[in-house]
Amino acid sequence: MKTDSNHPPKLFLKFFRWFCHPKLKNSIEGDLMELYQERKVESGKLKADLKFVRDVLLLFRPSIIKPSGGYQQLNNYGMLKNYFKIGIRNILKYKVFSFINIFGLAVSMSVVMLLVLMLADQHRYDQFHAKKDRVYRILSSTPTGRQAYATSPFGLASALREYPIIEQTTFLSPGVGGDVLYGQKLAEMKGYFAEPAFFNVFGFELQKGNAASALTNPNSIVISSEMAHYLFGADEPIGKVVDFSDRQLSFPIESDGHGAPPVSWGSFTVTGVIDITSYKSHLKFDALMSSSSLPLLYSERKFGDASNDWENYFRTYTYVLLPEKNNVSELQNTLNDFVKRKYADITAEQTKDFKLEPQRLTDIQLGLRGNDTNNRMPSVGYYFIGFLALAILLSAVLNYTNLSVARALTRAREIGVRKVNGALKRSIVFQFLSESVLVAWLSLGVALLLLLVIKPAFKNLWVNQYLQFELPQSISTYFIFIGLAAFIGLLAGFYPAVYLSRYSPISALKGAITKRGRLGFRKTVTVFQFVISLFFIVTSILVFSQFRYFMNFDYGFESRNVINIELQGNDFQKLSTELGNVPGVISVSGSDIIPATGTNNGIQLRKQGTTGEYNNANIIITAPQFVDNLNLKIVAGRALVPNESDRFILVNETAAKKWGYKNPQEIVGEVFESNETLEVIGVVKDFHYLLLINRDGIAPLVLRNRPQQFQYVSVKIASSNTALTISQLEAKWKQVDPIHSFQYKFYDDELSSTHQAIFDLVAILGFIAFLAVVIACLGLLGMTTYTTERKTKEVGIRKVMGASEWGLVKLLSRDYSILLIIAIVIGAPLSYFANNLWLQTLTNRVEFGWGILLLGIFILSALGVLTIGSQTWKASKKNPVESLRSE
Amino acid sequence: MKKYQLGEFEEVVMLTVGILYKDAYGLSIKKEIESRLKRGVSVGALQTALKRLEDKGYLKSFDGEATEERAGRPKKYFQITALGKKAMEYSKSTRDELWRAIPKVALELKIVEAL
Repeated sequence: MKTDSNHPPKLFLKFFRWFCHPKLKNSIEGDLMELYQERKVESGKLKADLKFVRDVLLLFRPSIIKPSGGYQQLNNYGMLKNYFKIGIRNILKYKVFSFINIFGLAVSMSVVMLLVLMLADQHRYDQFHAKKDRVYRILSSTPTGRQAYATSPFGLASALREYPIIEQTTFLSPGVGGDVLYGQKLAEMKGYFAEPAFFNVFGFELQKGNAASALTNPNSIVISSEMAHYLFGADEPIGKVVDFSDRQLSFPIESDGHGAPPVSWGSFTVTGVIDITSYKSHLKFDALMSSSSLPLLYSERKFGDASNDWENYFRTYTYVLLPEKNNVSELQNTLNDFVKRKYADITAEQTKDFKLEPQRLTDIQLGLRGNDTNNRMPSVGYYFIGFLALAILLSAVLNYTNLSVARALTRAREIGVRKVNGALKRSIVFQFLSESVLVAWLSLGVALLLLLVIKPAFKNLWVNQYLQFELPQSISTYFIFIGLAAFIGLLAGFYPAVYLSRYSPISALKGAITKRGRLGFRKTVTVFQFVISLFFIVTSILVFSQFRYFMNFDYGFESRNVINIELQGNDFQKLSTELGNVPGVISVSGSDIIPATGTNNGIQLRKQGTTGEYNNANIIITAPQFVDNLNLKIVAGRALVPNESDRFILVNETAAKKWGYKNPQEIVGEVFESNETLEVIGVVKDFHYLLLINRDGIAPLVLRNRPQQFQYVSVKIASSNTALTISQLEAKWKQVDPIHSFQYKFYDDELSSTHQAIFDLVAILGFIAFLAVVIACLGLLGMTTYTTERKTKEVGIRKVMGASEWGLVKLLSRDYSILLIIAIVIGAPLSYFANNLWLQTLTNRVEFGWGILLLGIFILSALGVLTIGSQTWKASKKNPVESLRSE
Repeated sequence: MKKYQLGEFEEVVMLTVGILYKDAYGLSIKKEIESRLKRGVSVGALQTALKRLEDKGYLKSFDGEATEERAGRPKKYFQITALGKKAMEYSKSTRDELWRAIPKVALELKIVEAL
């Protein structure tokens, strides 16, 4: 028998204790025990046991069982108030440390907040469509392309309609770009051809007109409310007939096509008005033309019929609407199946391993693809900013952690007293976490102020004129901020809270915890911060020098005083003659693209009579004056001359070399074939006509004279009094084309603007580098301040014993200087190799030598030494009497 | 009527608490009822009633001494509150009223019949 045989059955006692309401437990258990003892005496253990069991089971009833949700509504208000009060007092008491923590967290938080605002702004796009969760855009991709295209073959929308798993499809084909004329009023209008299904798939609503029929009839047009207002004023726009002349204006993004002489497409009836500015969408347009207008345009040869052109997937956007119950993988299967069958016999180069994939409508805004409908930041941009933000956030969080742990001693007594008074480890953890969250929320307040400064700065970046971030702060973003701050607080406070709550109350009260928590940990953190700082400093210096390199780049041609004027469909000969008459104009040339500004056209050719592969080359259609205008050199053969056959071409030196001609002379006179035969009459010295960030450097180039394809007139003017010359040019333009405005750009400006985005990168990186260094230095400042304070007495005694000030500085600085050196030893090679990863991908790159690396190291060391030195110097200068007097 | 609700068992418990006066705790109440009314009372039923009466405000309780046979658990003593007293009085007066309302004949007849 067990020794505790005078106890009731343990199992049931345990059961009772488990289920019983805690308020009743003790008294009832007492009754049960008393009763049990009496019964045992009266009628033996067995009966007493049985009766006990019966009693327990009968007690198992709702009023006795404890409620599941906890029985005590304990009011912790008093304790929380105490935590809050102690937290605030600590912040106020140690002002330097609080400043370091709050400022560091605020700075890094503001960058994260900026990112949140950007993402929040982008997430507002395309949310208004009622069927947004069922609409997908079809992307085209090939393994060779860097990214998928947002466009797809023209015929895709109607072909996919046959599949039962797709409810509806619609296409948008940009091709409307020209002048709309109503009475005396003329406006440029750009937009898409669209089907009636447009209004079914998308959530756009018509301000005026009937959405169901607006795009049904041929020659119907839906226009934006601004356009309607401009053309018709206050008059009713519906039913008005306007004339439209196509000029092939670039749409949807600037670099698509360049315009041509106006061709009348006839009259169009306005059937709807849409207030496009009220929608936040990836789609923007002035007009939607009914797709049923297309057949007539095909037959009049005014618009190319691409219905059966499956090799061209660069122009049309296809959207599909899935039924309520749908499965995206099924859509993918359908698309795969479709491609398999459709592309079985198509062998074009650009459709090799062709693939179609769906992209959710709501993902479009953040998922920029090739040929997209507007300029947006690609997702890699968000990752980039996110990475930067996280790096400095981590640095600031580590500062907090580091300083809190380092200063553990200041809190040890408090923890000891709390523990003696019955605080659990849990409550100490809670206290310190609430303190760190408090600090984080204070930082949030500061960060919101900082945001007031960095938000406009970001909006003023050059790229934002394309990206158009609005960054409104809505209620929900504030909630995100508050949550974010709380999370950051928890993150920062986690380690100190766990670390400090571990103290045993006895040693804490005795003051036995005098030294080194985790000096290893703290050292690692400091080294880590400085490695990151060094990396950012070196990177921003490098990107800046790369930027300067690009800005001063020798393209191999002279862009000074060259003005590029958009032809806008005017006759080149007429305009060039007129402009040539302006005094101050040295020469006038024409071309289809402006070299080195981002647009390139390709051509494939091979030597006549051979059967080998075609060679790829870039082609620029130029006037003969092009060579003189840009001061290019002819190294072999002769230049083009006006009014000769357009079969004559110039090639560049690279072309000659690449195609197997050792001497440029040898290629002169050779005949090549592409669609037609072309004869090389001269070789031009290599010049940079691709974007400088292009990997190719200089690729084979063909220059050919076909005035009917020109898009630009390039005028070289004398450098004296350019303003007068330009006004005279404008006057001439007005004579030739009274309708369209004179649009010109200095070539120099155009070239440097291609690198503006890099300058923005420099600005962002430089800013982040600055923040990283500031945060790291603040952390270091905190650490040195703390150590020197703790060593005041030691310094005093040493001084009394005759130590020199300089010797003391050395003594106090030694530990942290070593950390700085370790950080440099790790950080320098890291920044060198990491930066070389991207630098090596550039053909035209700056030399990444010791200079940049040393400059970065110097900046970092200077700041670090300054931070450490300021504190140690102050400490060693102190009069020992002051430090030793007080005890 | 709604004002003071007292079930039959509840009333018995209240009365017993009154009888025991300063010595009314769980087990003593149970024993008192069992010995006076000759009926078995389970701990569960009693505790439920006590809790309900306390919730209604008819009884109040305080912790008393702990003894060895109770394994160190305190006794929980109960006392009738003023409200409890009113409820008991109300319950008694309604019964008395009902009693008085019964015609004497009815009872006498019954007795005769029973005989």
